[in-house]
Amino acid sequence: MTMKDFKYDPDDLIAALATPWAESALAVIRTSGPDCIEAASRVFHPSDKLKNAAGNTIVYGYISDGDVKLDEVTAALYRAPRSYTGQESVEFFIHGSLPGITKILELLFRSGFREASPGEFTFRAFLNRKMDLTRAEAVQEIISAKSNQAQSLALNRLSGSIENSINRIKSDVTDLLASVEIQLDYPEDEAEMPDVEAGETDPIVDKIDRLLSTYRAGRIYQEGVRVVLAGKTNAGKSSLFNLFLKEDRSIVSDIHGTTRDYLESWISIGGIPVRLFDTAGLRDADHPIEVEGIRRSNEIIDNAHVILYVADAREGITADLEAFMEAYKEDRRCLYVWNKIDKAVSSAPADFIKVSALTAEGFSDLEDAIKSVVFRDHYVPGNEPVIDSMRQKKLLEEARDALGRYSQALLDGMPMDMAAVDLTDALNALGEITGEVTSVDVLERMFSNFCVGK
Amino acid sequence: MDYKAIVVGGGHAGIEASLAIARLGFPTMLVTQNLDVIGKLSCNPAIGGLAKGNIVREVDALGGEMGKLIDASMLQFRILNKSRGPAVQAPRAQADRFLYQKLAKETVESQKNLHVYQDTVVDLILDHEKGLCRGIVTERGRRITSEVVVLTTGTFMEARIFIGEYRQSSGRLGEPAAIGLGTAMRAHGYRLGRLKTGTPARVKKSSIDFSRMEEQSGDNPMLPFSFSNEEIHRADHSCYITYTNDETHNIINENMGSSPLYSGEIVGAGPRYCPSIEDKVVRFPTRNRHQIFVEPEGADSEEMYLNGISSSLPEEVQYRFLKTLPGLENVEIMRPGYAVEYDFVDPTQLLPTLESKMHKGLYIAGQTNGTSGYEEAACQGLMAGINGALSLQGKEPLILTRDEAYTGVLIDDLVTLGTNEPYRMFTSRAEYRLSLRHDDCDMRLFPKSRYAGLLSGKAMELFEKKRNSLEEIKELLQSRRIKKADVENAPPSVAGHVGDSLFKAVKDPEVTIEELAEIEPALKRYKSQWVKHAELDVKYEGYIAKQEKQVARFKKMENVKIPADFDYDAIEGISTESREKLKKIRPLSVGQASRISGVRNPDIAVLLVLMGKENNVSAE
Ligand SMILES: Cc1cc2nc3c(=O)[nH]c(=O)nc-3n(C[C@H](O)[C@H](O)[C@H](O)COP(=O)(O)OP(=O)(O)OC[C@H]3O[C@@H](n4cnc5c(N)ncnc54)[C@H](O)[C@@H]3O)c2cc1C
Ligand SMILES: Nc1nc2c(ncn2[C@@H]2O[C@H](COP(=O)(O)OP(=O)(O)OP(=O)(O)O)[C@@H](O)[C@H]2O)c(=O)[nH]1
Ligand SMILES: [Mg+2]
Repeated sequence: MTMKDFKYDPDDLIAALATPWAESALAVIRTSGPDCIEAASRVFHPSDKLKNAAGNTIVYGYISDGDVKLDEVTAALYRAPRSYTGQESVEFFIHGSLPGITKILELLFRSGFREASPGEFTFRAFLNRKMDLTRAEAVQEIISAKSNQAQSLALNRLSGSIENSINRIKSDVTDLLASVEIQLDYPEDEAEMPDVEAGETDPIVDKIDRLLSTYRAGRIYQEGVRVVLAGKTNAGKSSLFNLFLKEDRSIVSDIHGTTRDYLESWISIGGIPVRLFDTAGLRDADHPIEVEGIRRSNEIIDNAHVILYVADAREGITADLEAFMEAYKEDRRCLYVWNKIDKAVSSAPADFIKVSALTAEGFSDLEDAIKSVVFRDHYVPGNEPVIDSMRQKKLLEEARDALGRYSQALLDGMPMDMAAVDLTDALNALGEITGEVTSVDVLERMFSNFCVGK
Repeated sequence: MDYKAIVVGGGHAGIEASLAIARLGFPTMLVTQNLDVIGKLSCNPAIGGLAKGNIVREVDALGGEMGKLIDASMLQFRILNKSRGPAVQAPRAQADRFLYQKLAKETVESQKNLHVYQDTVVDLILDHEKGLCRGIVTERGRRITSEVVVLTTGTFMEARIFIGEYRQSSGRLGEPAAIGLGTAMRAHGYRLGRLKTGTPARVKKSSIDFSRMEEQSGDNPMLPFSFSNEEIHRADHSCYITYTNDETHNIINENMGSSPLYSGEIVGAGPRYCPSIEDKVVRFPTRNRHQIFVEPEGADSEEMYLNGISSSLPEEVQYRFLKTLPGLENVEIMRPGYAVEYDFVDPTQLLPTLESKMHKGLYIAGQTNGTSGYEEAACQGLMAGINGALSLQGKEPLILTRDEAYTGVLIDDLVTLGTNEPYRMFTSRAEYRLSLRHDDCDMRLFPKSRYAGLLSGKAMELFEKKRNSLEEIKELLQSRRIKKADVENAPPSVAGHVGDSLFKAVKDPEVTIEELAEIEPALKRYKSQWVKHAELDVKYEGYIAKQEKQVARFKKMENVKIPADFDYDAIEGISTESREKLKKIRPLSVGQASRISGVRNPDIAVLLVLMGKENNVSAE
């Protein structure tokens, strides 16, 4: 049971972001492998259009996760052997927002693709193609891909605390495997036999789940908390936006519908990186440009971590405000801002944050309120580790699923040697995050935890 | 050349090696220190056990002798781990060790082409320039030449035994060590190390009060290890179980100072999987008893073996603590327990054929390579013998892979990773153990056996018969449906399968094929072990299929060969650490390279590219 597994198997489906990991207008995700087109069409709408397209063509459509459309994309399709890797390939040209890229990669990794190793596309190209690439070039590519990845690894390297907590989980699984293996490697009378029961995986699964729940928090720290200023036209959103930025970035006027397209900017609130959005005010518009602006506002609201709904204190409680509150009453992301208190006509409803964009009164309350939502929903207290890469998340999920299968196998009355296969899978998945576990490690644990040998 | 091949050492490795080469037609000499102890079971009078029993059956399937020797000398037989699953069940037998040894000696003596000769080898004739081994030099000054030399020195090379204060230059109690060869090997540039192991006291049967112990008898009927034996009819001899207690542990603790294990005098690492009683007491202080097995050494012998209490404490202390065990109050020790420390050769200096990387023609096998156990020794001896003979025939070597045999796992581990404690086989060392069942060794190794050329015509016939029967049984299971009338007297687990095929029913963990044989008596026409074999194949199909996928992946990398003279210094871009390791191990395939500890994935990718398209890594 050396659990070392070579990661360049040319028969796997692989996927990777081919453009830099950064916000940009356009990003390219490259996929390759046998039956790649079939697999890619499962996340593409219209699926048949992609599946049946000829080689070297471009197909327009959506990446969709079940019924949910994630992005509007074009897909470049290559049929073997006329592709870079010599295998079937699909390249998706997608919008370059980090959360969008993340969602699409996650979807691919859930759909049979694995993350490509450094230089792996070139590696396949070399193995499959008879021309173009020389051996030396291929080696060079792998080496430089390796060092690129090393750089990006250095950027998002495992923080010490996450490594510790994954190691602790791994250690639990190793202990469990050792207690299974002791029964498999020694007859009853040659070693003490610990009890092995299905439920023993529960505490380990809990730990994994806890770690998984930090995934979103981890990403937020990398990508920024998305805070959106929303509300009716003329409520003072742009004024507040400028106040946060401490500069006049957004045009302010008393004309309703001044802001037509959204604006965004990075700010820091109490050390938390925040991407603040100013949006077009919400109203029944008929100008097509404004209609499009409002559509975008709604999209940003949907994807936000914190929604600041700005109400105009001079107007009091309006029908629009009530409608919005009704529609979002279950949504814990919303904060209601009672702006223009310097000119207020009525007192603020309960739980509204009272501010004036003009005088900056109440501004620090607003900052505190944002922080508390972030802390409540996304922040992990103290030194608790957060996982921040999709790969870590996927492997943790694999480990959790394998532990589930192990317990189920025991419940089903499967013999222990079969059930042990799943425990080994769990350990392999964890090993991929922090370094492999070999059979020698498991034997080590057996000899130190149990008294063995006639 | 005086001989085509010389095998040094008449232990379990040497027996297999010398028989294999002689049987393949080459004039061979077996030279060993003392002809009277050929095939001696140095320690436990038992063959087989978990993973080890599988190895014995692999040796048999490949045409080795061990299975036949134990079949003819067993005193008790058991299948271990019946409740844990098919992949980890294994046969184990108590041996009449006097009979075993007698049969072993008779077998080598009567073997055509084999000259059995008594002397001690003190040096090898090596041509360093050409990198060749040319023969041996003996203690009595004889230089004997050959093209192939197989070294199987067991626990004897520069060995010392320890009992309390007592030291003796011996490989086993009462047998002198082989002095000189270890020193000579070091001088020839080989890396050698020290390992240690121990054995318990042998006590007199008539001094034991068995009424105070639990009796343990074996399975009835006994089953053969050898695939060419149909059945075994021998009387079952019982073993007995007793326990240590606090008093035992107190005595051991009080005298720990006089144990050579704890005085720092023994430098070699001992096996952690088979600790001495001193180790058990020190490492598991909270345990207030350890189980001890009292096993017969022979049907006609007064000697009994005390399994689980090996010790190198002074004899007088051994007496005192043994007397605290129920049933041993009046025990008479016939031979004391002792520890032995010996030279082993770092096995990473060998190719997967067990041939030395430095000197062509020199093969090393058995405990000399850092393993322990008769079975581990036998399978290496057999493979060294087969490969020595194949090289004499000018044929490609035979290398078993990790998915084919425990023997393959063992040799691959040794030559790729080396070892720093006596290496014993465990099922958990095999990543594909579901495919390494003991009942299936003949089926999976048959093509290899045929290539090796050691199997008899009778064995080949039996193989064909078994293979056909397995197919017929599976076809029968597929085609026969369970009818209502079938299940009138059947247990509920079977009754629930009305309308299903037998094939489907047998996949149910709660249904056994014996129950189905009541419904379909045609199943009873086949040998019961074969029916069982078919059942296991079908029952665990899902897991096995999953494993087979992993095996396919593994095979792809194994099939990418690296030329023996490959120049690692000429590769750009791999890490220095990887390069040094690759140069040291010189793997034969990219697969083997990937198992070397510390060689990283991108470095393997570079290697793969360099080995190139011609190796056909892709499925396309
Ligand atoms: C004290 C003791 C404790 C043991 N404990 C265990 C245990 O706990 N568990 C376990 O699995 N196994 C144990 N064994 C090991 C088991 O006996 C060996 O693994 C097995 O016998 C090895 O087989 P082999 O063929 O390699 O060597 P051996 O059986 O040792 O045979 C080697 C033979 O070669 C001969 N020889 C050696 N050097 C020369 C030379 N230079 N010239 C000529 N002849 C030579 C020797 O005389 C001997 O007959 C123990 C052995 C001993 C002695
Ligand atoms: N008195 C007072 N006036 C304010 C305050 N905040 C904003 N205003 C004024 O309200 C008007 C609208 O402000 P904007 O910030 O442009 O409003 P908006 O919500 O961005 O409007 P649209 O972009 O049209 O949706 C401007 O004339 C501002 O000067 C405030 O706190 N007090
Ligand atoms: Mg505005």
